[in-house]
Formats: sequence, structure tokens, C-alpha cells
Amino acid sequence: MAPDLTVKIGNLLLKNPVMPASGCFGYGEEYASFYDLSCLGAIVVTGTTATPRTGNPPVRITETPAGMLNAIGLQNPGVEAACVKIRRLQAYKTPVIVNVAGNTVEEYLQVIEVLEREKTVSAYEINISCPNVKAGGMAFGTDPDTAAKLVAALRPATQKTLIVKLSPNVTDIVDVAKAVEVAGADAVSLINTLLGMAIDVERRRPVLANITGGLSGPAVKPVALRMVWQVSEALKIPVIGMGGISNAKDAVEFLLAGATAVAIGAANFRNPTVCPEVINGIENYLTRHGFQSVREIIGLARTQGDR
Amino acid sequence: MMQKRQMEILEHTQLTEEIFRLTLAGGIGAKPGQFVQVGLGPTWEPFLNRPFSVHNCTKTTLSLLYRVVGHGTRLLAQKQRGSILSVVGPLGKGFPPTKRRQAVLVAGGIGAAPLYYLMRMLRAEGKDVIFLYGAKTAAQIVLEDEYRSLAREFYLITEDGTAGTKGLVTDLLPQILGENEAEIFACGPNAMLRAVAQTAAEKKLPCFVSLEAQMACGVGACLGCVVATADGNYRRVCADGPVFAAEEVFRFGS
Repeated sequence: MAPDLTVKIGNLLLKNPVMPASGCFGYGEEYASFYDLSCLGAIVVTGTTATPRTGNPPVRITETPAGMLNAIGLQNPGVEAACVKIRRLQAYKTPVIVNVAGNTVEEYLQVIEVLEREKTVSAYEINISCPNVKAGGMAFGTDPDTAAKLVAALRPATQKTLIVKLSPNVTDIVDVAKAVEVAGADAVSLINTLLGMAIDVERRRPVLANITGGLSGPAVKPVALRMVWQVSEALKIPVIGMGGISNAKDAVEFLLAGATAVAIGAANFRNPTVCPEVINGIENYLTRHGFQSVREIIGLARTQGDR
Repeated sequence: MMQKRQMEILEHTQLTEEIFRLTLAGGIGAKPGQFVQVGLGPTWEPFLNRPFSVHNCTKTTLSLLYRVVGHGTRLLAQKQRGSILSVVGPLGKGFPPTKRRQAVLVAGGIGAAPLYYLMRMLRAEGKDVIFLYGAKTAAQIVLEDEYRSLAREFYLITEDGTAGTKGLVTDLLPQILGENEAEIFACGPNAMLRAVAQTAAEKKLPCFVSLEAQMACGVGACLGCVVATADGNYRRVCADGPVFAAEEVFRFGS
């Protein structure tokens, strides 16, 4: 019998633990011609703000060893226009999670207020970790008190599942994670990108117009895995692990470290069919090792260590 | 239909020190002006795929014409006949259909790549094609005979005068256009595209330019390859382009 891949994140029952990472999957439609998006554990759409954002000037991306830097700057059409695109995802039989961003607590609230009317939206991922915008974004995610106040302000605004996306650009990610758990988050997702930069030696200036950008791809995986290990040990709520996952083996590592689900980001750019490939790969892994359910391996590397 | 395919190299020819033509087995049903993303794996170096315009596309083959400019193209140049490449595409919007009888195609250097397929399709539709091929120097001109044989009129121009006329494509363009009601299609360096667009604007002729950008996803998801448009917004070179109406991306005077 095929192993059971279902997992629970807050109120969401996911058919499998694999979803694309916000910002790497547009509004879903970009990847819909490669495979049926219904196969995904969830669809996570790009960072959405109350009003349209033009984003940062180019150059916005550059390749780095085993990864890339980006400084998109939360370009999005604003929540009203985003709703039109989000409604199209009704066609797929999988939950839709919207990444929510803002400069102020009020702006986050405004976005949620509009999205509350959309029955296609199953959950929110609160973005307190975007490294590429001047105000808001990561500013909410680097201090546990500020993060907790934001989550406490958003919690009464919705019954839907509230996931908080954490920044790795902090001294102790566990402090921030614990603070948002106490403030009412249903789950945390980590990591967002690591702040980095690149310099063009011929032109003798930074490659990115924004000077700094967020590092992602296989290069960040060990850092992400360590943080997922630490956070899932300290929290009772589920962890969605991400950061450089590019194949099923990477995904299984995150599950063994304690993640209940995983998200795949930059790897989609290299391989547009990576998400279904990882789902199949996890199933094969479970079958090969005789597990009946993916839930049996969540955090298993930690408990094995105790024995 | 946009897909990920594993395609075998049928032919890989070095045309000059820097320019190669790669022919892969399999039709992908691309339109002129569309592009593909080629994976250079299996290692993480380089991490991202590389975008290449479709140089030619038949029912059974896909050809790319590229210049070695960096790490990715250097690796690609080493791939041998019989190797398998991962190809994602066709991607982007191609050149729009032309209603006019005459088309003037302006190529700058390796920008000639997508214009071959465009010229072939325009000729199949019975259009009258004038081809203007510019480069820095004679060594950057490739497949001259193939381009020449498809065009009704063919002009060669190099900055150093080592082939054809000496000068820039825009030195020749106004007289080539004359009083013709032509449509202009251009691909090449940004400075050339801007100059071609300006000539077109002065003559009030429709002009379409094919842009190049560093890309990550190639499908419109990551918003990494945007170009600033004349109205102050950003558009995705991969999904909204790579072909744009000239007035969308260039603004002149007034």
C-alpha cells in the first residue's frame, strides 16, 4: 500500500508535505503548463501588499556559487488585483496560502481584511523576513517583541491558519520563533533568504541595484536545516522547512530534522517540475524504508540521536 | 506547448572563435522570437539555466546560435554531439504577426540569432524581407550565405569596415527604409536597439525589439529579469517579452 503522505498545518490538511516557496512560484499560473498544480500539498503565492508595489530597479538577480541573490523588492499588483489571480487557483484541488507583507501593522491587517472575503484562500504566511524592502519586511522579523506584537494584532483578524515566515538574519531564530508561537501563530516557515551581496569587479560596483539581496539555492541548505532543527525542537506548532531544497533527499533531511512540511524555492527556476519530482521521491523513500506514513519520519533524526 | 524536455545534440558547430551553432533533436513548436532555457547541470555550478533565443525550429529540430560570453556558455560549448540537454520551452512571446508586406530585420552581432527563424517564417508567408546585419568586425558575422539567401535585399555593415560598409546599422537604416511602409524587427545590443527605435519613431514605422536580460525562472514567476518601461513600470523580459514594441521600452524627446 502506498504510504500516507498527509500532514496537518494548523487547520490545513495537506495531501502531501510539499509546496512551492512564496516568491518563487508567482501566482501559480506560471507553472500550470508543466504539471497539474492539484498534485501539490499547497500552492503558496507571492508576497502581497495592500497597494501595488513596483519593486526594485534592475539588476535584481545574480547567480552565485550553488545559488543566487535576488532583490525583487516585493513587486506585486496589490491585494485587490492579486485576488483576481488567486481566484483562478480555485481550479486546483489544493489549499492556497497567500504570503502577506506590509510596512506597518495596519497594512498587514488591510491585506488580511481583503483576503478574508476570498474563499480560495486557506491560510496566510506572514512575511516578516523580506530582506529587500526599506520599511517593514525583515524589520518585523528581527526582534522577538516586534514580531510577537504583529502576530498578536493579526490573530484576531482571522480564523484561517496563520503561518509566520521567519528571517535567518538574526542572532537567535529560536527566540523569534517562540515569541510568535506565544502570540498565536499556527505554524512557522523558515528560512527566508540570507542577506548577501556580490560585486562586479570590472565595473567596480555592486551587481544588484539594491546593493544587497537575499541568498537562496543549495548554498543555504545547511544553514536552513540547522535552523529548522533548532526551531522544531523548541516549538509545539508545526514547522515548514525551506532553504535550498532541490530534490527528495534534501526534503527528507528537513522532515527528519523536524519539519512537518517543506517548501521549494529557487530550485523551481532550474527545474520547473521539481515539486512533483520531490513528492514522488518522498513517497519512494517511505516505501523503501517501510514507513506507512510521512508523519513517522518527522523529527526522526532527533529522536534517533537520543537513543 | 511550454515543457521540459531532454533533447539530444545532433550537431554542434564552432562557427568562429566565440560563436557556435547547436542543433537538437526534436520539434518544440516555437514561434519566431521565443526562447528556451537550457540546463547545464548536473552539478550546482552553474545553478541557473541559460536563456537562448530560437535560431531555427522545424518539426524535428531546434537550433540555437550563441556566443560564448561567460561561465554558462563556456560549459555549453564543451557539450558534444550525442549529449542530452535539459531544455525548457518554448518561452516568452515571440514577434507579433506583421500585417505589412515588407519587413526590415536589423541584427546586431549575435542578435542575428532569432532573426533567422523570423525571416524564414516571413518568407513562408510571402513577405518581402530586407536584412541588415551589423557587427563590430567581420569575425562576428556568421552564416552570411544563409541569411543572404533568404532576404530580398541584404546589407552588411561593420564598425571597423572589415566586412560590408563601414559604420553602424543606423547609418544605413534611414536610406534602406526610404519611403517604404515597412515594419521593423530588431535584435542586438541595447544601444543599437535604442537607435533603431529612434529611426523608426522618426519615420513613424512600427518597430519591435527583442531584449536580453539575466534570468532565473524564464517563465514569469520570479520577477528577476524586468525591464523599466517608458511608463515607469517594470515588465518581465521572459514572459511579457522578450519582444516588445519599441515605444514600450524606449522614450524619445518631448
